[in-house]
Order: sequence, then structure tokens, then C-alpha cells
Amino acid sequence: MGEENTFYQEYEIFSKRTPNSAFQHQFSLLAPNEDMALIMAQENFMRREPVADIWIVNRKHLKRMNADEKRTLVRLENKEYRTTKGYGYLKKKWRQYEQEMLDEKEILSWGGERK
Amino acid sequence: MNSDGNLMDPEYKEAVISLLFQLADDDFLYSFRGSEWLGLAPHIEADIAFSSISQDSMGHAAMYYKLLEELGAGNADDLAHYRPAPERRNSILTERVNGQGYYMETPHFDWAYAVARSYFYTQAKKVRIDSLCESTYKPLSEVAVKMRMELYYHKLHWDTWFKQLLSSTDEAKKKMEDAIKLVIDDFGDVFSYGKQKQQIESFGLIGSEEELKAGWKENIEPLFASLQLKVPAIPDHPVKNGRIGEHTRDLEEGLSTLSEVCSADITAVW
Repeated sequence: MGEENTFYQEYEIFSKRTPNSAFQHQFSLLAPNEDMALIMAQENFMRREPVADIWIVNRKHLKRMNADEKRTLVRLENKEYRTTKGYGYLKKKWRQYEQEMLDEKEILSWGGERK
Repeated sequence: MNSDGNLMDPEYKEAVISLLFQLADDDFLYSFRGSEWLGLAPHIEADIAFSSISQDSMGHAAMYYKLLEELGAGNADDLAHYRPAPERRNSILTERVNGQGYYMETPHFDWAYAVARSYFYTQAKKVRIDSLCESTYKPLSEVAVKMRMELYYHKLHWDTWFKQLLSSTDEAKKKMEDAIKLVIDDFGDVFSYGKQKQQIESFGLIGSEEELKAGWKENIEPLFASLQLKVPAIPDHPVKNGRIGEHTRDLEEGLSTLSEVCSADITAVW
């Protein structure tokens, strides 16, 4: 790519709005080094939004997925057990057991043993 | 050929069933042993990742058992849980315990063994799945295409662990080399089709044992070359051949553990 010969480099900018919020990717920009990238990010893109912190990452330092690695992201649709919706039937089951629990036979069977 | 068991040539059907039991039992036992690592892997993210891979593999086993059910071999859950050891057709590699001790009491499992077994097993599964995508039995080639999607991730995961540990400290390298030896000693039946070899191959259900072995070797050679290691040779004669129902004691112990809950009340509805 001949990036050594290029004056400008690509930087990815992350920021957060408050000290306790998570960093979010905002945009990318061109700058000759990370110090320049920082002031450019601040001056140009964060004038209106409150900002608590900024991260600058040179794009060449990001581990990115190649086409082959992206093939590892596919999942089969047979994993309802990993999501709460896979347990939707439980509500119905609970109701059934609760009803059984309070039927006449059950209540009468309490007689004598309870005061 | 379609999945209507009644219209199928009986010999063809028998061969399909025989192969399906080998594939199903392999993934079932492999994922059971994998699930025994829950909470024990040396690193929290590795723990979750291994568990996910075990769940995926259990899903693959379920797909094979379902195909068996469609062929009238029995209910899928029953086939998974209630068949005794002599009826199992998995490779002995997949049934081996994870190391010393038991999951419930003082497990001293061997992570190097887990990585080596998973690496070689997944590489073997890769050549089998690639071949199954061309199977003459359509329902089988269809599930193989699906499984192949998830196998990319399993393979990347185990390739990475395998490579990292073998290019790490001398101690890690020694542990890995010991583990590789254990795994390869049990590898003799992985590419065997047992007594139905002739039929399974001539009906074109999957490539021949020799083709798959050669494919496996070819696939792993570059990694071994980069580590300056020789690809270990698969034994000509398996110690025991799981494809004809020969198994170790580890399988009986494993089956009684994995079916303990469902055997406690076989009429329960889940």
C-alpha cells in the first residue's frame, strides 16, 4: 500500500458523552499523527456535543476481519436456548402448575395439618 | 435420493443409517466431553467460546439424530440418550475422558488434550462435511451444507489455540506434544466406516476412507510445516474400533452421566 510514503494517515475516533458512559465509534479522519488527529477531532466534530473523553486509534492498528474470517460469523437458527424467547413456553407451564396447586383436592389435603 | 424410507432400496437405507449413527454419535460424544469443561477452561472467554462450540456440535448431532428418526430408526432423543455402549458408533477419540478426576469432584482436566483433540477432530470433521455436501443422500447433503457454515468458526478457534500453544513456552510445547500423541493413538477409527465401508462408499454417501484421510493430511500439513513439525501418522490398526461397537470404559461412564437426569424419570415431559 506504500503507507510509509503517505503524509496523512487514517484515524478512527471514539468518544464518550459522560465519564460513566461507554466509548462509541464516531468517525474517521486523516491526520499526519495522533496529536493532530486529536485536536482535529475535537475542533471539527465535537463542538456541539458534550464530550468526556476521546480515543484516537490509527486504523492500521485495528485487527480487521478478512473475507475468510467473516465466514466464521454465520450461525444456524437452532439456538433459541441462548435467548429469552426460547423460554416463552415457561409462562404457560407455570400457570398450569399454579392452577393444579390450588385445586380443591389440593386445598382439602391441607386439612388437619394446618392450624 | 429422497428421505422417504419406504421407497428406498433396503441396502441403501441400511448404509445411510449406519453412516448417520457414526456421524451423530461422534458429534454427540464430542460435545458432551466439551460440555464437561464448563467453568473449568483456563480463561473466562475461552470457557464461553468452548461451551458455544459444544452447543453448536450438539446441534449438529441433533440434526443427524433427526435424520435417523425420519428414517424410522427411533425417536431422536431416545437414540441420543438411551443406546448402550455396544450400540454406539462414535470414534473412541470422542468418548475419552478429559483427564483425571470427575467433573463433580476434583477435575484435573488436561487443557492441552482438549485443544489437541478438538483441533484434530474439527479438521477431520471439516473433510467429512465437505465430502458430505456431495452425498447422494440429499437430506444428508443439505444438513452438511448448514453445518459447514458453523465449522468455519470452530476451525478458526481450534487452529488458533493449537498454533498458539505449540509456539509458546517449552512447557506448553511438551504438554501439547504429549496430548497430540494421546489423540493420534485414538485416531485409527476416525476415518473408518466399520462393517458397512463397502456399501457406504459405493453408494456415494461420502468419500472413501482413503480420500478423506488424504484430504485431512493435506489440510493440516501447512500448519505443521510452519511449526516445523511432522504431521503425525494415523495408526493403521485402531486400538479399538468404535465404528463396530468396540469402546473403552470411558464411554459407559460418560453415557451413565449424560443420561442420569432423563433416566431418573423417563415419563417426564420436558
